[in-house]
Amino acid sequence: MTEVPKIVYHRLRAALPERAAPERALGEQAASERVHPDADLLTAFAEQALSVTERDGVLEHLALCGDCREVIALALPAADIVAAPIATETEAVRATPIPAKVQRNWLTSPKFAPSLRWAALAAGVAVVASVLLVHPGKLNQAMPPSANPQIAATAPPASGPPIASSPMDQSAISAKTDKARPKSELRLSKKLKAGQVATPSHEAEPGILLADNKKDSSQADKLSAAPSAGASAFDASTSRGATETVEVSGAAPAVALAPSAAGSLMARNETPAIEKAKPALQEMEVNEQQKTEAAVVPAPARSQARAVMSAAKLASPASQTLAQNVTWAITGGVLQRSLDSGQSWQNALRADRPLLCYSSHDEDVWVGGQAGTLFHSADGGVTWVQVKPSIKAQQLSSDVTHIDVRGDVRGDVRGLAQIVVSTRNNEIWSSADGGKTWEKK
Amino acid sequence: MTRPAQSGHGADLAATLYERSGAAAYGVSAEQFAAILDEILRKYLPPNSAHASAEQRADFCAGLRLEELALARACAAGNERAWQDFISRYRQKLRSMALHITRDAAHAAELADSLFADLYGVNARDGVHSSKLVFYTGRGSLEGWLRTVMAQEFINRYRKQKRTVSLEEQTEEGAQFAAAVPEPARTSDRRLEAATDEALAELSSEDRFTLASYYLDGRTLAEIARTLGLHESSVSRRLDRLSTGLRKRILAGLRMQGMSHAQATEALETDVRDIRLNLRSRLTQDSGVKTFPEGKVPAQDAGEGSTD
Repeated sequence: MTEVPKIVYHRLRAALPERAAPERALGEQAASERVHPDADLLTAFAEQALSVTERDGVLEHLALCGDCREVIALALPAADIVAAPIATETEAVRATPIPAKVQRNWLTSPKFAPSLRWAALAAGVAVVASVLLVHPGKLNQAMPPSANPQIAATAPPASGPPIASSPMDQSAISAKTDKARPKSELRLSKKLKAGQVATPSHEAEPGILLADNKKDSSQADKLSAAPSAGASAFDASTSRGATETVEVSGAAPAVALAPSAAGSLMARNETPAIEKAKPALQEMEVNEQQKTEAAVVPAPARSQARAVMSAAKLASPASQTLAQNVTWAITGGVLQRSLDSGQSWQNALRADRPLLCYSSHDEDVWVGGQAGTLFHSADGGVTWVQVKPSIKAQQLSSDVTHIDVRGDVRGDVRGLAQIVVSTRNNEIWSSADGGKTWEKK
Repeated sequence: MTRPAQSGHGADLAATLYERSGAAAYGVSAEQFAAILDEILRKYLPPNSAHASAEQRADFCAGLRLEELALARACAAGNERAWQDFISRYRQKLRSMALHITRDAAHAAELADSLFADLYGVNARDGVHSSKLVFYTGRGSLEGWLRTVMAQEFINRYRKQKRTVSLEEQTEEGAQFAAAVPEPARTSDRRLEAATDEALAELSSEDRFTLASYYLDGRTLAEIARTLGLHESSVSRRLDRLSTGLRKRILAGLRMQGMSHAQATEALETDVRDIRLNLRSRLTQDSGVKTFPEGKVPAQDAGEGSTD
């Protein structure tokens, strides 16, 4: 960081106003610079909830008042989670096919390999030439044994990366483009029933996706026979040969692709990978016998929602915890989220009808829109479930104009949230059990 | 509009806001809630202000945290259900906030309990128990407001304790006191001060806040970024731009006051503290020279001499 001249420190310090009776002044309403803004204004400032004029006024005061700056700094919420950008769908597709091992090894990177290969070759030739120049008389004896090994030694590492990267690329592309194949689903379900995979873990899916895209039966067997290959392949402590690197590079992108897609694509009905995985994932759900939302969501919607939720289990824990720092906004009928306090926004949910309002409490996010559109995410926006509140024969059908979510947290035990939904025709729908049952006023 | 429920449209708005707030569940009547909104409107949008049109007032009210406002005011009024909700939502958070602010479990518990007592209205003023929650206006989140109030309370307490603890007590606790560093004689150029003040005055309040937070308060880029709602890298770039710009502006100001470029640069780089440090180092050097005068006595000889 560039230092400012020291005279700037002196003058900044000299510009501070008198600090008369700060404990008396703090907390009192104020407009002038000498009187501190009250806690409401400081809170709204820190939460970016002030109008431009008010914000400027508070900033003017803060620029001069060290006490209020200290209050603002102390009142900042604890930053437990380091915000990392969630990859957008295009970024995810672009970024995930590059295997980690290849990225780390710059010498074998496909990007650098051709130039390095030629550079190494040129260096070898230069060394040989210099040796020949210094010892021209030993040409016939020295050259064959000394020059060839040098040139040959540079070849193997350079030829490695394309082999390592190609299966991965194929798998990633095929995961995006290929349609679901009944055989693969059958295989998956058989494996699940046989107990090879105890839970629908994220390691199982990549193996199947990879296996479906392999033309070589031996490779396919190798990969599909180990549903948890991803987990073992992720173990960095094991040193492996080139063949096993292929497994890593193949398994990693599919694992990484799925959460990105699950996070960003599912609400847009543009979920090629997840759509393909739905039948198998539904079967997983049936095996798990989770039938908690039967009262609220109609059967087709329920199965779809479960499939989507199951697909979201592929998401990495990191991407799920990131949801806690999310800022939400609705722009043009689309729910958007920001992980960097509004610097950049991503579309988080696009429904058939424009969205109008949202409300969040911790990781509970509810979004309402036109014609009774109501979506719920219980994991900070990673997965979404459409909720259709109904009572007797009546269904929520008016535009949702406002949602209030009141969390019910007692100690460390998280209870069910209370949701109050207001509509354009002045209906109030409320649920005291997190959206399972509804009342209408 | 002094009361949100005056006109027909105002009555609709007030009713909608009342419904949205859920105040009825806490026993707050529509009239009481309208009075609360009226009080808040008078505080932030006085009727004679330029931003007091009916639409702006409606927008302002709609932007308030109505549900949290209803909860806070119901708590202040002593509603039991409201207190149950408040405790279930914020009791644990208050402790976490206190720990985050004080960084000490004992002080955190004390601070949280003290604030909770203030919120509950344990302390009576003129025989009337008043809760601090009546000051919450719903501009920001209730949780954020609680954090801010707690931070203010912490600073006030810290100051009070700092005043009341005697020097002896501090010494007993192991505090060590350095000799007071005398303020250096005023040697900086008036023209330099004027040019600097002028350059600082040209900056926006946000830029001055950023400078003061980083250079005076020692806040991290992350803290400043979170306060301003920016990315860390934006703050970093801004600080770089500010320091470069300030230097240029001060130099330009000094040249306008008749200094040459070399003089202006020298004046900007010279600092009274630097002068003092230089003098100190020079004095140290001088004493070193006296200790070993001209190397007349070799180290070995000196050692032998001492043993003899």
